[in-house]
Amino acid sequence: MSPRLAVSGGRGRLILFMAPVMLVYLLFLVLPTAQMLRMSLDRFSSLTLFAPDLTLASYTGLFRDSFYVSLFGHTLLLGLLVTLAASLLGYPLAVIVARGPARWRGLLMAIVLSPLLINLVVRSYAWLVLLGDHGVLNQWLTGLGVIDRPLALTGNMLGVVIALTHIGLPLMVLSLASVMGGIDERLLEAAESLGASRARRFWKVFFPMALPGLGSGSLLVFCLTVSAFITPQLLGGGRVQTVAGVVYQKFTLSLNWPVGSALVFLLLVLNLGLMTLHGRVFRH
Amino acid sequence: MSPRRSAQPSLLMQVMAGITVLFLLAPLVVVIGGSFTTTDYVTFPPHGFTLRWYAALAAKGDFIRSFADSLLLAAACAMVATPLGTLAALALHRDAGRGREWLRNFLLAPLLLPTIVTAVALLQFYQRAGFDQIFLGLLIGHVLVTTPYVVRSVGAGLAGMDPAIVEAAQSLGAAEGRILLRVLLPGLVPALLASVIFVFIMSFDETTLSLFLSGPDMMPLPVRIYNYIEFAIDPMVASVSTVLILFAYLLVILLEKLVGLDRAFGGGV
Repeated sequence: MSPRLAVSGGRGRLILFMAPVMLVYLLFLVLPTAQMLRMSLDRFSSLTLFAPDLTLASYTGLFRDSFYVSLFGHTLLLGLLVTLAASLLGYPLAVIVARGPARWRGLLMAIVLSPLLINLVVRSYAWLVLLGDHGVLNQWLTGLGVIDRPLALTGNMLGVVIALTHIGLPLMVLSLASVMGGIDERLLEAAESLGASRARRFWKVFFPMALPGLGSGSLLVFCLTVSAFITPQLLGGGRVQTVAGVVYQKFTLSLNWPVGSALVFLLLVLNLGLMTLHGRVFRH
Repeated sequence: MSPRRSAQPSLLMQVMAGITVLFLLAPLVVVIGGSFTTTDYVTFPPHGFTLRWYAALAAKGDFIRSFADSLLLAAACAMVATPLGTLAALALHRDAGRGREWLRNFLLAPLLLPTIVTAVALLQFYQRAGFDQIFLGLLIGHVLVTTPYVVRSVGAGLAGMDPAIVEAAQSLGAAEGRILLRVLLPGLVPALLASVIFVFIMSFDETTLSLFLSGPDMMPLPVRIYNYIEFAIDPMVASVSTVLILFAYLLVILLEKLVGLDRAFGGGV
């Protein structure tokens, strides 16, 4: 007899246990999401927020308007830049975490995990303090006489990329380190005994084997970045528009719900599409 | 045992990793240090030492009220999400059919959805239904995004239990309800404790949902700070940030002391 059956009590208890959570999910997740997606097919109305209809007008409007086309372009670019920066910064640290001296591992893991504990708004504020026009970095550089006037490190794409990289880095390092930690040491030793140089061992053995970690880390960071709006809003000072930021405006300020819903739907498709693609590529 | 030379990271790797460590820590160090500055703007290293920004924070009634709101919301969320997720995990554990994988994925779905999708869906749902209970609305949203962690953590706790204990209880003639209450639940105490604390941390930290669903009378602390720094970034924000950072670390240390972090995160799942 399977030990699972031990918690039995038949189908009745199963349904009883599942019922509360299912009720909450259906009523407050499935229904609202379906409602929102349906609304993207309604018409905009300045009086009633939306007028019932069955039209693709919100979507075609998005693809015709150059503002929205470049909005998506910018958001995807932001996702790529942050993923690239997080990979470049995260890779060496992940190598040390996974394969460096064991006595460093605990401390390094604590350092990698600690930003995860800190609220997004607080982290964004911290970067504003560091990078702002009168921020710490500009104070130092002017104090040292390196620059005359403050560098513009916030209120533009650069500041947003830096702060979002900080947010994505822990996830990147964790994904990489978990795969790197599983690489069989003997393969590297075998490559060495066959005369492969350090660079060759890295690029021909270690790097390819760690690729799945780079893949899942990149997916996580990219998805997180293209859906982010708090950090872009604060570091961009309103001058860096992202899809999620415009969604926020559509639902709270300009109150164009059908267009806002269409944007959310596209964001959702982008996220789920990437996850499915990732599942396909790395299954084997 | 020292690792072989072939596996040891090069000096270049170590230097680059050092740069990343600096990058990770810099904002935290600057905010904590800067909260003690005597200047009207944040400097690092701080000029002098003063607690005046903490005094300024303590005198700000709306920040204190928001802190209390956040505490209440996080506690309520832990009290609701933990039983919901635990019942679901017990049901999932019992059912070995093909529907199980599907159900599990469905329950974990809020983890995959970008939070902004859940937030907007709930916002328009509440408004169209004329639902104006801000606290309850926030609580529902927070429960949705934290329940998956409970399902995972309690699920791992159940999977880690020795089936022989349950079999022994059965062969001694214990009824189902008795097995659940006297055998399974006591064994799940660490997983439940971890769930409560972890859900509390996640809810206290949740910002995107709260930004969409809160109102002027009920504003969790992260939203209060967000609204404040859109206009000013004085060192008072550094002091509230420092308080939040210490609070988060305290909770995690509590989690580690009570149950151990491995267990809290679902046994490394």
